[in-house]
Amino acid sequence: MAKRILFLITIFGLLAVSALFAQEKLQKDWKPDKIKGTRFIPYPPYSGTPYFNEKFVLGEIELLDGTKIGNLGIRYSSFQDELIYYNTDIKTQIVIDKISLKGFSYPDELGTKRSFRRQNFDTYLQEERFFEVLSDGNISLLAYRKVDLETCDTSYSKFGLAYMPAYHFYAWSAGKGYTSLKMSRSSLLSKFDKPSQKIVKRLLRKNGIQILDEATFVQAWNLIMQNGLSINF
Amino acid sequence: MLILFVAITGKSQEKNHFSLFTDRDLYASGETMLIKVYVPADEPSGIVNIDLLNTKGRIISGISKKITGHQADGYIYIPDSLSSGSYLLCTSTKINSSLTFKELYITNRFTGIPEVGTPVRASKIKPLKNRLIDDLQIEGLDKSVKAREKLEVSLNLPKDIVAQIEGNLFVSVSEVTPGYNSQSFQSTIHRDNFKSAEKEGVVLDGYLKDLKTGIPFKNGVVYLSIPDSIPRFDFYITGDDGYFNFQLDNYYGKIPVVVQGFDNEDKHLLKISVNRRDSLKNCLPDFESWEISPAFRTSAEESKDAVTFRKIFNQPEVAVQPAMKPGTDRYPFFGVPNIVVDPQLFINLPDFTEISRELLTGVKYRAYNRIPSLQIFNSAQRTYFNDSPLLLIDGIPVRDLSVIKDLGSKEIAKIEISMNERYYGNLKFPGVLAIHTKKADYSRVLVSDEVVKLNFDCIQPDVTLTTLSEHPLNEPDLRKVLLWNPSVKPGQTIKFNFGTSDLVGNYKLVICGADKDGSIFYKEHLFEVN
Repeated sequence: MAKRILFLITIFGLLAVSALFAQEKLQKDWKPDKIKGTRFIPYPPYSGTPYFNEKFVLGEIELLDGTKIGNLGIRYSSFQDELIYYNTDIKTQIVIDKISLKGFSYPDELGTKRSFRRQNFDTYLQEERFFEVLSDGNISLLAYRKVDLETCDTSYSKFGLAYMPAYHFYAWSAGKGYTSLKMSRSSLLSKFDKPSQKIVKRLLRKNGIQILDEATFVQAWNLIMQNGLSINF
Repeated sequence: MLILFVAITGKSQEKNHFSLFTDRDLYASGETMLIKVYVPADEPSGIVNIDLLNTKGRIISGISKKITGHQADGYIYIPDSLSSGSYLLCTSTKINSSLTFKELYITNRFTGIPEVGTPVRASKIKPLKNRLIDDLQIEGLDKSVKAREKLEVSLNLPKDIVAQIEGNLFVSVSEVTPGYNSQSFQSTIHRDNFKSAEKEGVVLDGYLKDLKTGIPFKNGVVYLSIPDSIPRFDFYITGDDGYFNFQLDNYYGKIPVVVQGFDNEDKHLLKISVNRRDSLKNCLPDFESWEISPAFRTSAEESKDAVTFRKIFNQPEVAVQPAMKPGTDRYPFFGVPNIVVDPQLFINLPDFTEISRELLTGVKYRAYNRIPSLQIFNSAQRTYFNDSPLLLIDGIPVRDLSVIKDLGSKEIAKIEISMNERYYGNLKFPGVLAIHTKKADYSRVLVSDEVVKLNFDCIQPDVTLTTLSEHPLNEPDLRKVLLWNPSVKPGQTIKFNFGTSDLVGNYKLVICGADKDGSIFYKEHLFEVN
């Protein structure tokens, strides 16, 4: 019995030590020294959510000089297209200067890593935007997770205004720029010429992929890219 | 077993020291000393420091060089004010407790070697020995060559040696001083453990102390500002020891720096000091008297004359490569300003109170009872901040508001206003007012106990030796260093060209390199110029 107790004490001791070291590592990652930004002013409380991730999650940001800062409590505001972090030292929500960031990433509720990168949106609106990278490659599939403040029925929001998702999806390549996409089979097929469309249809049928939503669209996109088919835009 | 242990530790000790080479062992004041350093393979620092010091340990001149492939090379200009005597060259890094010294003799080119007084040399030292390789063939260099002769020399290295070489080789041809054999030796120094290694640039560090008590000040804020088109700003919060440090990555040459430290709660007056390498007194060996040989004295006399002639004919020894500049930030550290005002577009206003009243929306600068106050409008909260904003003059934070009191619009090039609560790490700024003066010389930033302005030596830019072709034929060619190539790509056959100068005497070709195991090998070839 004494041996068992000793064994259990050793196990618990080892677990405690490893947990302590893990904690220390998290603490060491926390380096807010270089983060620049302005104080976050909360948005008006209308119905819907202005944020892409409602809760602060521990994520990683990459600064312009390539410095990566991990273990940072971040929240992406779809409404203002800005990244907010919580500075635990001074207990303040800070909007990180968009211009100082290359991108950021964090795991969602399912543990899937969601990566965003800042890119210049050089169409009719010249602005810097955070795009979620759904698929990366020569031609990337990007999502602009925008939320608009729109008028709505007062039964939904008593002020008559609500935060409504207005996501935009794009295919993007460095040389050609952006082309808009919808998360549908017809939108995807429209980006191929006639002979390629047949191949794409066959490929999707063979692999049993039905484009119904964003997830299946991304699945189909990745399959097409793996098979070396190039889209026209 | 004991012998084996001693042998192994002795061998590893040998490999752990810096290997230091200079173009010559005897110099005259006003000359340039060329230096090559081999760094131990396990050295964590990315920057090596090389200092010239006198026999009392005082550092006369020092440089910092970036370590590339466990090697570095640089130069030290020998000041004309040095008196004749023995000097030491020391190489070290910020965290390595091991130092390597090399003995040198410097003659003052105006006074020469004094007849009175006892010259000294290091004694009781254990000279460092490098491995001599014999199976390296030198072709095209006879034992005796003519002055002003152009030479093409080939070095033939055996295959097995080439395979063992780590990094680049170093080749030099220079004058030899008769009667003087310079020695290198190792020493150690106590290093504080908390000091950070220099990686991509030099570290500027120091201490913040209470002005009254002299006790290290905890939680003091230290600002570092480097004036530039977009000034660089960094900060440090001191710990219990009051120590602070800033990594100046990829800064080359001398740069203007302003460091200021203060108590964020404004309860204590502080004193800031920046660490400088000024003395290595505790690491010096013993010195003993030394009799200068007549041959050495003659050589030293000739050497100093040659330097003076080169100065008269304006023949520089080395050409300094332009210093690289790190990329400036894409935007100021206080963010993209909300408002930018050019006072030149308006009528001339005599002082800053007038400027703030007439030109600056959301800026209140007032001087009631001669006490100036500054407030900025918080655009998000639609009210003025209670606290004073961050005030910058030419990118340098200024805490004394009276400094801008008499600034008229004639002196100001641009005013930038940020009307947000800005954050930089844990620092909070209730708005920012950045004034860019036309002079842009930050002369309005006053030096005090809390503010230090200095021209800080960062990584030394590279140099190349001026060659024979650069000297016109109607001028004397008084080069003592005929070839200096600190980074030669290793190969089985290495060819290089050089020309002898008008100075006759003994010369030495040195080829040197590092093995993959970290040991240094070298080969010398002596020849005479007639």
